[in-house]
Order: sequence, then structure tokens, then C-alpha cells
Amino acid sequence: MSLLSWILQNFWALLVLLFLALVALRIAWRIHRFGATRAEFVYILRRSPFYLVVLTFCFFAAAPFLIMFMHTFKTDGDLYRRPQPFVFRQDPTLEHLDALFNNTAYLEFIRNSVVVGIAVVIITLALSLPAAYALARLTGRWGERAGILMFLVYLVPPTLLFIPMFRIVVLLGLKDDPMSLIVVYPSFTVPFSMWLLSGFFKAVPPELEEAALVDGYNRVEAFLRVVLPLSLPGIISTIVFTFTLTLHEFIYGLVFIADTSQRTLSVGVPTELILGDVYFWQPLLAAALIIAIPVGLAYNLFLDSLVQGFTMGAVKG
Amino acid sequence: MSIVQITSLKKYFDSVRAVDGVDLAIDQGEFLVILGPSGCGKTTLMRMIAGLEKPTAGHIEIGGEDVTDLPPRKRGVSMVFQSYALYPHMNVFNNIAFPLRAQRRELKFDKRAIREKVENTARVLEIDSLLDRRPRQLSGGQRQRVAIARAMVTQPSVLLLDEPLSNLDAKLRANARDELKDFQRSSNITAVFVTHDQIEAMGLGDRIVVMSEGKIQQIGTPQSIYDDPANEFVATFLGSPSMNILSAKRFRFGFRPEHFLPKTLHDNPENSRIFHYYVKRVEYLGSDRLVYGYVQGHERELTLAKVPSNVRVSLDIEGDYEFAVHNRDIKYFDNISGQRIEQQSLAQAF
Repeated sequence: MSLLSWILQNFWALLVLLFLALVALRIAWRIHRFGATRAEFVYILRRSPFYLVVLTFCFFAAAPFLIMFMHTFKTDGDLYRRPQPFVFRQDPTLEHLDALFNNTAYLEFIRNSVVVGIAVVIITLALSLPAAYALARLTGRWGERAGILMFLVYLVPPTLLFIPMFRIVVLLGLKDDPMSLIVVYPSFTVPFSMWLLSGFFKAVPPELEEAALVDGYNRVEAFLRVVLPLSLPGIISTIVFTFTLTLHEFIYGLVFIADTSQRTLSVGVPTELILGDVYFWQPLLAAALIIAIPVGLAYNLFLDSLVQGFTMGAVKG
Repeated sequence: MSIVQITSLKKYFDSVRAVDGVDLAIDQGEFLVILGPSGCGKTTLMRMIAGLEKPTAGHIEIGGEDVTDLPPRKRGVSMVFQSYALYPHMNVFNNIAFPLRAQRRELKFDKRAIREKVENTARVLEIDSLLDRRPRQLSGGQRQRVAIARAMVTQPSVLLLDEPLSNLDAKLRANARDELKDFQRSSNITAVFVTHDQIEAMGLGDRIVVMSEGKIQQIGTPQSIYDDPANEFVATFLGSPSMNILSAKRFRFGFRPEHFLPKTLHDNPENSRIFHYYVKRVEYLGSDRLVYGYVQGHERELTLAKVPSNVRVSLDIEGDYEFAVHNRDIKYFDNISGQRIEQQSLAQAF
């Protein structure tokens, strides 16, 4: 605890030091590589403003997360006495993290969310892969119309649908069961994924499939062996998007499940940690941060294919 | 013996008649070229042979078996696409092995047999050093060879080639043409080659099928098609520059620019027809001079003459000359149908 509190209390200084160390390392590496010549120093000086700008933007992007991180460890007294996000005026504490994990069903929320997310991703892919392929290859008037029609479904807001959907969930006997979400979520993830995937499928030249047909495969095999591997970036973006859509869905999760231990993250965290007008800020921020980090990393990892997914959809409708 | 037999094959796309009643027999081991302008239905015809397009009417037999309703994989044909259609996510080895792996179930190829076959085919096409590369790391010529290797590795009964040389630059194309012909001859495979390039067609084909508007205009050896065109379309489509066509009262007649020469160059002017020729422009093309001008009595129809450069005849712009064409080089065509008319029947009509 003493090491952690020392780190937290000197957080900003450490951050600056870390940054300076990285800069020094980078300069040292360049000098090692290209020699300590005048030209090299001129180059470094000329590039510095660029990195300064990049750093500024990075700070703006990261600041909310850094502040969330620091607040997690603040005592109530420190937090509510004139907000001062960047320094600790009292010793950091772990009591809020302890409360989050031990007094709420946070781990169960995570488990429910992950189970629902993975199940919905699988259902969505199973439905939207063949549908998107059919839409991509079924050109002409009807293919396009069918595509637009299916995308219209995505535009009907859940606020309009949650009451009739609730009747169905009750009818199926799935009330208070995360299963209900697995059944309902594909209603908005499938149209969206289909739209995203059909753009990728359209980008695969039909000639490649025809080559596979002539080479001795049937249409399903041609799809599995040629179209699917070539659409891998699209499939990855579909997985990431679908998962995050289920992760932040609120209204269905709130209405269908009243039992706290069965709730998902997006519903469980605010209902457990906001009581009336009392916000338990530290555990709230911690809960949000813990789940935001892996999602952020996943987005970063697949950034290229995600961007491709968006622009492709943009161009091809 | 014909290996492919096509009878009254038709393909309509809504109101467009892409292929409109084609009868064709392709012989075992021949190199057949289907030649025609773009949109004449030649690619549709080939795609129907491959099974990628379902005919509206008619039958296709391959090796004596009616394959009209069979999917491509059951026809024993393979195809080289215009874009080569190499699988970008596989290296060259896997591209060539891809059709073998499809057959593995029936023919019980094990891994070693596949490797052996792929390597043998690659060696024949001189791409054995490229087996680990991805298609995007290959040049155009190399891609074409990989595409041919992939098509050949299963030893198909018919090899279909859809303008496979059109993506190569001109220099490489002549070379590739030569190799393709050698390869076809040594492997004795039946090849059907679709192109709009008459030089490719003349150079490669044992026989040429000239198509236009979904119909076959003429089938024959390159020479017979060039020297003995069945109609005006074939006559003007082949040859560069194309045949001069002049109108007469009840028919049209034509002659090729290289047969239209100054009268003094004809050793036997009695068998020739003499024209008064007004020269408008002369292009010097190295081996030939291309002369643009008008024949007296046909001032609206631009007439070209191709005079070899080594012939020492001076041709001045805006000069009048006497040119002649040997009678046997003049072709007569019906005014309305465009069909060829024999000279004798024409003489009777006069």
C-alpha cells in the first residue's frame, strides 16, 4: 500500500519523468544509430514541435482516463472538498475498490456481460454472414431493396420496442434471465452487422469465387475457403462492434432483468452505485475504467480493420 | 473427334441476346480461339462452357456427356480468368494445390502426391522458384503463369482462357503468346481462348470462331478467315487497317489495303481492276506507307492503301495515280445481308 500511495501521490511527476525518459531513450537511439552529428541534432530539433503537438493531443485524449484512475483512490473527504483532480490531499485509499468488488455484484455483472456478449456475437455472425453474403451477391433491384429494408429495422429505437419485447420475454419465460438479452440483442446487432459485412463481401471480386467453383468446390466451400478469409477484417470489426453494442445497451437490460445478480455491467453498475441522488463516484469511475481499458485495447488492436469497415460502408452504402 | 459439342446454345439477359443460337464442335487437342468485338457474347459463351452461366436454351456436351445442367466442378474443365483470379490469401503453392485439394476426396491424393503434382506443374511453367510467394508479390507475367499452372494441375479435358494476355504489356504479351502455344502443343490439351485481339487470334488459333451479336459469323483456320471472309463483318473485323468497302449499285465490294497497289507493281494488269486514286495523305510506318485517299466514283468512302516502303514508287499528296487490285482479291458482299457473293453468281446477275 505504501508503494502504491507513493506512486499515486507523485503520479504526475512520475508521468512527466516517464515521458522524459522515453524522449531521452529515443534521442539516444537515434544518436547511436546515426551518430552525434550536427545534422542529427538539427533533425531532432526540427521534429520536436511535431511530437509536442502529438503529446498535447494524447494528453487530452487520455486525461479523462487518468482522472478516473486517480479518483478511484481518493477518500471521500479529499474528493468532495473543493474538487482538485490532480493531487492527493489525503492519503490514497483502496476502500472503494474493495467496496466495488465485495459489496456489489461487479464480478457477476462482468461475467453476465461477457456471456451475453459472446453469445450474441456468435448468433449475430451465424445469421449475418450468410445474409450479408446473399445481399452482396444478389445485385439488382431486389437485393438493394431488401438491404435497405433490413437496415430500416436497425433504425427503430429500443425505447419504442422494449414494452412489446418485454411481453415476448415474459411469454418465453426468460424474465430475470440474461438469456432474454441473448434473444433480444440480435434484433439490432444483426441488421448492423449485415450492413457492415456486405460491404466487405462486395469488395471480394466475384471472379475469385468463380475460380473456386471451377477449381472443384461448391458454393458453400467457395464461400468458406475464399470469401471468408478475405473478409477477415470485416468479421473482426463485426465482432468488436457487436460486442460493444451489447456492452453498452441499457434499456433492455434494465427492463428485462430485475434480479441484481443477473444484471449486466451497463445496468448493474449505475443501479448499484447510484442510490437516488447519491453517486458513489469512486467505485463508479473504477467500474467504468476497468471495463473501458480492455475494450479500448481491442479497438486499438483492430483499428485498421475498423476504419476500413466504416469507410467501406460509407462508400458502398 | 470433338470433345466439346455445343448445340443451338442461347443465353438471354432480359431482352439482351448475349448468345443467340451457337453450334460449335471443338476437337480434341485443338487450340480454338473465339474472336469478336466486346459485347459479342464470346465471354458468355465461354462461361456457359465452364458452367458459370446457365444457358437459356441449348445443350453442351463435354467428352460425350451432357453437362448442360452440371455445376462447374463436375465438368472436368478449368479456366484462366482475365484478372487471373489468384487467391490473394494463399501463396503460389497453395493456389496451385487448391484444385487438387478439392479432388482429394474422390481421387485420394495424399500430401506427397499433391506436392509432387504442384512441383511438376510449376517446373513446366518455370515458376518453381516462386512457390512461397503471395500473388501480390508477383509480376503480371508470373501471375499469368501461376493461373495457368492452377488450371493445368488437374489435367482438365478442356482449358478455357478468358483474355489471359490482356493484362500484360505489349512486349511480354508476344512472349507469353509464344509460350502458351508451345505449352498447349506439348501438353496436347484442348484450349478455348477468348479474345478481342485479332493478332492474338491469328497467332494462336488452330481455328478461329468469329462472333458478333451473339452469333457465330465464321469458323475456320486463320488464313481461311482472313482470305475468305464469309461476310462483310468478318472481312472488316480482321486485318489492320481493315478492308476497304466500296458501294456499287446492287452490291458492295471490298479489297484489303495491302492488295491495293500502284498499277505498275502488278505484273499482270489484265487480271486486275484499275482504279483512279486520289492521294490525300501518306503515313510513313517504317515497313509500310499507309496511303489515305479516294477512289474515283467513291469520293465519300475513304480508301486506304498499304504500300511496302521498299517499293520505290513516289506517292505525293494531292496526286492522282492509277492503282490496281487483282481480281481474286476483290470480295463481293450482298447490299442488305452483308453475306459474301461469289463472283460467278454476280456475273449472272449483271
